[in-house]
Amino acid sequence: MSRLLSADFAKLKKNKFFWICMPGMFLFGIFTAVMHYIAMQQYGENEADITNILFIYALTVVFLIPAFVSLFVGTEYSDGTIRNKMIIGHTRAGIYLSDLIVCSVAGIGFCVSYIIGALLAALPLYTIDAGILEGVTKLVLCSFIMSVAFTALCILTAMLCQNKALTAVINILAACFLLVISLYVLNKLSEPEVYPGYSVMTDSGEVEVMENEPNPDYLRGTEREVYQFLNDFLPTGQAINITQRGAFSQSPGLLAAYSASIIIVSTGIGVFAFKKRDVK
Amino acid sequence: MDYILTARSLGKRYRNFKALDDFSIHVPKGAIYGFVGKNGAGKTTFIRLICGLQEPTDGSYMIYGIENTDPGISRCRRRMGAVVETPSIYLDMTAEDNLKEQYRIIGLPSFDSIPGLLRLVGLENTGKKKAKHFSLGMKQRLGIAIALAGNPDFLILDEPVNGLDPQGIIEVRELILKLNREKRITFLISSHILDELSRLATHYGFIDSGHMVKEMSAAELDAACRKCIRVQVSDIQALTRVLDKMALEYSICSDTMADIFAKINVTELALALAEQGCDIISLNEREESLESYYVNLIGGGNHHE
Repeated sequence: MSRLLSADFAKLKKNKFFWICMPGMFLFGIFTAVMHYIAMQQYGENEADITNILFIYALTVVFLIPAFVSLFVGTEYSDGTIRNKMIIGHTRAGIYLSDLIVCSVAGIGFCVSYIIGALLAALPLYTIDAGILEGVTKLVLCSFIMSVAFTALCILTAMLCQNKALTAVINILAACFLLVISLYVLNKLSEPEVYPGYSVMTDSGEVEVMENEPNPDYLRGTEREVYQFLNDFLPTGQAINITQRGAFSQSPGLLAAYSASIIIVSTGIGVFAFKKRDVK
Repeated sequence: MDYILTARSLGKRYRNFKALDDFSIHVPKGAIYGFVGKNGAGKTTFIRLICGLQEPTDGSYMIYGIENTDPGISRCRRRMGAVVETPSIYLDMTAEDNLKEQYRIIGLPSFDSIPGLLRLVGLENTGKKKAKHFSLGMKQRLGIAIALAGNPDFLILDEPVNGLDPQGIIEVRELILKLNREKRITFLISSHILDELSRLATHYGFIDSGHMVKEMSAAELDAACRKCIRVQVSDIQALTRVLDKMALEYSICSDTMADIFAKINVTELALALAEQGCDIISLNEREESLESYYVNLIGGGNHHE
């Protein structure tokens, strides 16, 4: 497989989309860091917190990865070059895994590019508390595994669908669909358990104190567990959680475990189905 | 005879459609094997199977004596190259970059032989021009160069001259002949352009409706297509005696018919047969081209297409 990796990395080095996205993410990192700093200065709020902007890339790559994978793998089918690999005897599993590894590296590259841009702009402007470094590192690693899981799902579609345009449409629509589901799930999980009590002055001048009122939309029991599972399991849910510094997730370790299971299962299914697939 | 590729009772089914049915083939080493059949006959399906792009549903094939179910088939495939339907090239890369990519896929340690390979296919002056700007003929030659990258001794070309202009056809033909003569590469060329194929092939296989109808060498086909006089007589024994006496080459077709492969004096023959008490019922000149041979063989009709 080393030969396939060497060929695919050489192809990545010549890939235009990759070289547009890498500096694009770098500049986006600088832009968000600077804009957040300006906003903090303008509104005189608390000191700019780097964690507010450091993880925004997690949501961005949810759209970049499907587009990149569809184009990178789809070209193999549209130009017919995947046949060159098969004809000279490379195994289908090798071809699949090589594409997965190269696209995963590209996905992580997009994340790293943003982080470097954001850090370069933030370091002179923001005060960074050394105490947050461990948590930040965990979330960054978590985001890398999430991006690989997302890549694995996109590779599954791209390797099984031999039409480049259709692959791109399926992957991007699926990303949007999953994101909407994750936002809905997050919205449900964010419902407060009780509406806090408040006091009002009546027309007669009396102060009436309203008690805390339970929220009927608050999820409880198994229902909450299911929503929490979806929130932690779906790569888009993870992306939203990471962007919000893991506020609604159970633990970075659990997110990583879910991502790892997505990678293993989707790759297993993908390799099995790709072996059975007729290539034209 | 040494065969590079053989197939036995090979079948490929797409849902309810049988693309290949009880198909067999024998490609001798060093041959240019013309694989003839009309559109939809199953030529490309067979090529996809032997290239490992698809799996047969029945039967088996052997490449260099290794069965398709043997894990060693992958190693055998390293000794073959193929251009299936359209050339498999990265359109966004130059000819040289395409070859470098293929060299990496094969695992060749050095790119030193790339200029020679580009020269061989006549693409040495393409410079930084990307493959998407190439003519169809150039793309076809680049596809052949990629197939040649691993120094294969068996090359499969699916419709290599389809859509090419006359100059392109000549270039591809000369390249194939050169590679066959100089590098002893065995070719399997599928085509339905019979005139072009007849200028190249040393062996033929005729496929129809997913089934191999006939395999023969070019010499056998030449013999079958030779200019001859077909004569129908009342007594075939008398005819053979006369023809033997006149030292003419002939072949008996039936109880009353024979083909004479020589220029004959009709009067002399008629008198000689009359002496033997044999009547000439009919006599006509015949010449068959590969095309007419193919039409006669396949039947010319639409078979299950």
